[in-house]
Amino acid sequence: MRNTRSTQLLFELSRPGCVGVDLPVCDVPERPISELLPAGAINPAPLPLPELSEPDVVRHFVNLSTQNMSVDTHFYPLGSCTMKYNPKRNERLASLPGMVDLHPYQPESAVQGLLELLHESQYFLAEISGLPAVSLQPAAGAHGEMTALLVAAAYFRDRGEKRTTVLIPDGAHGTNPASAAMAGFDVQPIRCDEDGFVDLEEFATHLNERTAVFMITNPNTLGIFEKNIKKIVEMVHAVGALVYLDGANMNAILGITRPGDFGADLMHYNPHKTFSGPHGGGGPGAGPIAVAEKLAPYLPSPIVVKENGVYRLDYDRPKSIGRVRSFFGNVGVLVRMYCYIRTHGAKGLREVSEHAVLNANYLLAKVKHFLEVPHGDRCMHEFVASPVKLKNEKNISTMDIAKRLLDYGYHAPTVYFPLIVKEAMMIEPTETESKATLDAFAEALFRITGESADLLHDAPHTTPVSRADEVLAARKPVLKHGG
Amino acid sequence: MPYFPNTIDDQREMLATIGAKSLDELFSMVPGELRLNRDLCLPPALGEMELTAHIVELAGKNVSAACVPCFLGGGCYDHFIPAVVDVIASRSEFYTAYTPYQAEASQGTLQAMFEYQTLIAELTGMDFSNASMYDGGSAAVEAVLMALHVGKRTGRVVVAQSVHPEYRQTLKTYLANTDTELLAVGAKDGSVAPAEVEASVTDQTACVLVQHPNFFGCLEEVEALAEITHKKGAMFIVVFDPISLGLLKRPGDYGADIAVAEGQSLGNPMAYGGPYLGIMACREPFLRRMPGRLVGQTADRRGRRCWTLTLQTREQHIRREKATSNICTNQGLFALRAAVYLSLMGPQGMRKVAELCLQKSHYALERLTACGKLEKVFERPTFKEFVVRVKDGRMEKVLAAAAKQYLFPGVQLGKWYPELADCLLIAVTEKRTKAEIDRLADIFG
Repeated sequence: MRNTRSTQLLFELSRPGCVGVDLPVCDVPERPISELLPAGAINPAPLPLPELSEPDVVRHFVNLSTQNMSVDTHFYPLGSCTMKYNPKRNERLASLPGMVDLHPYQPESAVQGLLELLHESQYFLAEISGLPAVSLQPAAGAHGEMTALLVAAAYFRDRGEKRTTVLIPDGAHGTNPASAAMAGFDVQPIRCDEDGFVDLEEFATHLNERTAVFMITNPNTLGIFEKNIKKIVEMVHAVGALVYLDGANMNAILGITRPGDFGADLMHYNPHKTFSGPHGGGGPGAGPIAVAEKLAPYLPSPIVVKENGVYRLDYDRPKSIGRVRSFFGNVGVLVRMYCYIRTHGAKGLREVSEHAVLNANYLLAKVKHFLEVPHGDRCMHEFVASPVKLKNEKNISTMDIAKRLLDYGYHAPTVYFPLIVKEAMMIEPTETESKATLDAFAEALFRITGESADLLHDAPHTTPVSRADEVLAARKPVLKHGG
Repeated sequence: MPYFPNTIDDQREMLATIGAKSLDELFSMVPGELRLNRDLCLPPALGEMELTAHIVELAGKNVSAACVPCFLGGGCYDHFIPAVVDVIASRSEFYTAYTPYQAEASQGTLQAMFEYQTLIAELTGMDFSNASMYDGGSAAVEAVLMALHVGKRTGRVVVAQSVHPEYRQTLKTYLANTDTELLAVGAKDGSVAPAEVEASVTDQTACVLVQHPNFFGCLEEVEALAEITHKKGAMFIVVFDPISLGLLKRPGDYGADIAVAEGQSLGNPMAYGGPYLGIMACREPFLRRMPGRLVGQTADRRGRRCWTLTLQTREQHIRREKATSNICTNQGLFALRAAVYLSLMGPQGMRKVAELCLQKSHYALERLTACGKLEKVFERPTFKEFVVRVKDGRMEKVLAAAAKQYLFPGVQLGKWYPELADCLLIAVTEKRTKAEIDRLADIFG
């Protein structure tokens, strides 16, 4: 059934003379190009792009699409990525011409509906986080991290405090230290103890008047709510530093507890995770941030304000860090986020977290009978298995299991992250999966643990290609057709 | 809620399996004193029909560029998007997948990204493209950061004032906590003077950043600028307009070391500023300092050609604070859209679109300045955008007339360039008809 021709490259399918568009004839008087542009500026050769007809292009890309697993076709328990269902109504509504065909420099009077939506969104994110000031500008979670850290840096600079270090638990996402470095800070990793909690003793030794920010993911990357969060926040605030919450795991705590209430001063959201923006094969996402009142003056410009019933963009913010990107933000993602929040309301959002946590605990309860889950019998929205016994006794690795799951028709969990867990397998089912799906997935996982090492080492067997040689790809990079 | 598949009975069974008495018990690890003991204060939930009515009402309060002639540009353009682009990007298998960590289950996305990288490399004449960044502005900034790492010269970055003001503001934000000096080079006559750039580049200058065609729509003397920059041992970074490459020389042809662009023009909607597509391509020696995802060709165990993410040791999930950037994802769906757009257009389509933009914008320039109430501000050659001065303090009147006629006449420049407060930046894409241009002229006349 599979169309093998589709895996040829566009350049291999190209036939001279083909064209996939029919552009209009020029309806203004034409002048010789040589009169309009200097000869030296013009490319004398045609662009070396492939030449294809419209049906060629459609067949090629539609066939390519069938070589993907996706949320709409498969269970996709990729931990930390919150691969929940993407509501179709949001797609339709975000694509209305009155929402999508808007130029960023249109007069404010011509985008009052959108500005209202964005203004409301700022309020929603403030309410859900318990942090009153919001910027919708950052383009992705990591971008939000860096933006918030620049806000923190500006705050300390304004106060005349020289603080150079950001403390980050070793279980954190790699973006945390990378964002801190980009914002100009030194990074001090903090060890987590065996149960995944911040090691308070070590933490105390690194915390001092040079500490600018402590970045924490809570629930953490093991899917566990930090039991000492209150104490940690007190310690951080006692030395005058700020607490940053990585909002990657907000799906566990919507309406249950709020970062602002447990002491965070800054955070980012991942609307593409928590609020169902489609992941797009790697983006786009968005990375709005919410901060405490005292940090509000430093947020990027502009933000949306409402005066006398009229919405406008406020650029008059003298202490702002400035811009972190061009134009307003990833509005298309924010419109989907708005639709998602309006669909659920307060009760629905709380149910999102309840169902997400129920699903994760249910799967944990099933999986723990045959795979080690070292960090307790309960979790929040995800959990991390650590099948070291299989590795030691049968030489079956987490990678082998992950690849074999593809044969059973499941996307693999996140593997080998967090780095602090051996053979880590991070499973996040989300709230939009049924018990039946979770049962079948657990059953598949169980069957795999009984399969032979040989079978698993060569898995997957049913995907369009077998294991890709990553070493070869890196040793001699071929990053484009023909070289 | 239609998105939760589990019934009350399912939930009961699941709780029993877990050994929990209630849903609430599952949250026992959240200390009671930190719990929110009230409902979030949010508007009531809306069903699909109610939500649709609400969003349609909000959309109705916006003036859509789909319905009125849009002469706005400045980094975002009303170019035509073929239906095929929307159809392909609406495939669930593309838009509901994520980063292709599991290569065997993600060959569709991986090959599409490989095709994108190839198309961008060919379009720009550069050696390599990454799998995309957030937008043009952040791509420009990442290019500068890359140059700061490559050259180990961190004293100064030279930026033309004819680079998009928001890109320059973004750069300033990113460099706020470093010791690197950001030196702006004037563009009094609509483009930068090579001699002025030459005088600004020291042996501690990492790079020179220019835009071509620049923010005012004018061409820069890129060949001379590249030569000067290289002579001083700095890197030459160009922000280009992908549509212009249907006609103009490619960044790789005139010596760019890193070429970046806003890829919105390539089949992506204007969407009030995002999401967009940051294009980044570089020459071979700098490949391993390039930020962002890269897809590479390799073979599977049966020797079949396939694709995988590669050179990941540059990236944050492995290198953490020593990574080339904190960027985690790319703009996969919008890179896909650009790849579909470019494969539909091919060399002929790209040439045609560029010619239409060129001809129509020059017709508009002539038609607008003929009445004597507008004047061309810069004498430099332009591609699809130009700056005109609205004479005799008539700006407010003209804007009011345009609003009344449901037409977006151009971008006001005073916010960024006070000396150009009485000027408009006017963009004319292939979508603008002669009739629309004539209407615009009538408003000014």
